[in-house]
Amino acid sequence: MNDAGLHARPASALVKLASKFESDFYIHMFGYKVNGKSILGVMTLAAEQGAELELELDGEDEEEAAEEIIALIKSGFGEVYEDDEE
Amino acid sequence: MMRSNNKEADHSEKVLNGAIGCPGIVIGQTCIYKRRKPTVSSTRVADDGIPHQVDKFHQARKKAKKELQHLLGAGPDEDSVDLINTQIEMLKDPELCERVEQQISEHNQSADSAIHNVFGDYLEAIKQNHREDFLERSVDIADVRDRLIQIIHNHDDEIAAGSIMVAKELSPREVIAFSNQDIKGIVMDRGGTTSHAAIIARSMNIPTIVGVKKATRIIKAEDEVIIDGLNGDVIVHPTEKNKEKYRELIEQQVQISGDDEAVCSQPNRTADDHPFVLRANIEFPEELTSVEKYKAEGIGLLRTESSYLRESQFREEEHQEKFYSTILKATDPHPVIIRLFDAGGDKLFKESSKEQNPFLGWRGIRMLLDSPDLLDNQLRAILAAAGKHKQRVRILIPMISTPKQLHRIKERIETLQHELEEKGRETDPDVQVGIMVEVPNVALQARLFAREADFLSIGTNDLTQYVLAVDRGHEQISSLYEQRHPAIWQLINMVAQAGIEENTPVSVCGELASDPISACCLLGLGINELSMNPLILPKVKKMLCNRKLTDMQAFAKDLLEADTVDDINTLFLNWKESTNNT
Repeated sequence: MNDAGLHARPASALVKLASKFESDFYIHMFGYKVNGKSILGVMTLAAEQGAELELELDGEDEEEAAEEIIALIKSGFGEVYEDDEE
Repeated sequence: MMRSNNKEADHSEKVLNGAIGCPGIVIGQTCIYKRRKPTVSSTRVADDGIPHQVDKFHQARKKAKKELQHLLGAGPDEDSVDLINTQIEMLKDPELCERVEQQISEHNQSADSAIHNVFGDYLEAIKQNHREDFLERSVDIADVRDRLIQIIHNHDDEIAAGSIMVAKELSPREVIAFSNQDIKGIVMDRGGTTSHAAIIARSMNIPTIVGVKKATRIIKAEDEVIIDGLNGDVIVHPTEKNKEKYRELIEQQVQISGDDEAVCSQPNRTADDHPFVLRANIEFPEELTSVEKYKAEGIGLLRTESSYLRESQFREEEHQEKFYSTILKATDPHPVIIRLFDAGGDKLFKESSKEQNPFLGWRGIRMLLDSPDLLDNQLRAILAAAGKHKQRVRILIPMISTPKQLHRIKERIETLQHELEEKGRETDPDVQVGIMVEVPNVALQARLFAREADFLSIGTNDLTQYVLAVDRGHEQISSLYEQRHPAIWQLINMVAQAGIEENTPVSVCGELASDPISACCLLGLGINELSMNPLILPKVKKMLCNRKLTDMQAFAKDLLEADTVDDINTLFLNWKESTNNT
């Protein structure tokens, strides 16, 4: 229910997923570039709803990584703030 | 330290007021927690010292991680788990490690100053990129930084078990860590009921008062204090009399929790079998467990301003609707009385200039009618929730002083109901609209308002403040603030009479209702719906069940004839004795 949990959770989910892959992963946004495997880096991004992100992936498993990361972002970061009972 | 005379003079009782972080009462000795701003060494590390500094950093990281994992092992609530996991994630951050190592090896910095600088960069970036409401996040990042530096400096806090922690501000991690060290209560200068630390304290059930402002200036280490987490007071150097009073309250609470099941499973009936209704005053979903435990018959006062101020998403209608639905689902089939945002402009719009008399100013309904977006947003969320939980929602308007204000809200509600229906949403045609009786003219013109409103709810806290012209928070005059004042009883009686004559239900949701003897008077005056902090409910219920309504009526009659607060106190004492003898 609180701000802190909401913002930390998607950041943490993204970093955890990205860290599973070998590929380097960077996020570009508003002219910033952050390491997508760094939670502190991701937390510095202003993750406003509807903001545009550009993902940069480079490595052997880049395609697979891109697919899963995009799926996570599209799913709203697997966030559960819709139904707190569950 | 040498001026012992002055020190003695300081031991007079003082009452500090703050916001309730977590309700409950405790008496204990304080322990002052100072989060020292870590001073980091600025000396340049010799080249051969670099590996040692890098090692120090990684050791500190490992230790901090272990500590957090240990906290996870204690099985905290979900909020805390998220927070701790995020902090662990930070300690594992590969970029952080890389950057700190770089600072040490390329710039010959010591481990502590490298940590300080690298975290500083992240915090600066967050500051630049984020709107205000995200800044709370940085508290947890700064907290990891400080803990790492503390470990490197070999600094650990000695906390005496069973003490009451007094601090400027605690990070959520600190609250969790201290609760593992058995602290009894928390007093903080900063923070609101909405701060993450307060949320954690509530989930750990540690009586907490936040936003006390002067706490760390006035309270010293090992001072005796009482935390009155029911009223938001911190009593420093309490008098024997006060200690006695609170010990009794604590004892009652313990007893209550001992036989609360017996008390609460009884029907709500006086000794001569007249029914009454007890509801709960709440503002957070976390409080629903006590509502259920003590069998409150619904919510008599759902405060909404804190949730609004605490969460930016609360401003989204859907999120707000969900909040109401959560409360409604948990209290089915009882009514839920939702009070519209009761805040002043000072709280909502920081840029607005400070008012000279905020309590007489632009607040409650006065502010809402000037803020149509805010008002419509809340009304729509309430009405949408009401459509799914028919005949249970009642809307309570704060700070009403003219019938026109009530009419305008009713018109708004009608328009919004139509809009919802047009969108195909279900609505509840029976949503009731009532008003708070807190501005004295409303009590004096109670019949007029009773005709217009679906119900009246007396807020005795503000009513007392306005009738007696006493700012409750003002230290020097707080003794003049007396909810049992004869004038208050007479006004309550006028409202009760008006309710009976106009067939409009009257309830009391102020502090007066949570005082068992006063609750008897209220029943005696014909008000049989009371709402209070759910933790107090069993105590009130016990008294009401033990006495006869006919006695309460006689008692109320005597009260109305009293001239002074002293007379009333005598009557209360007699009532208490006669209760003990029954």
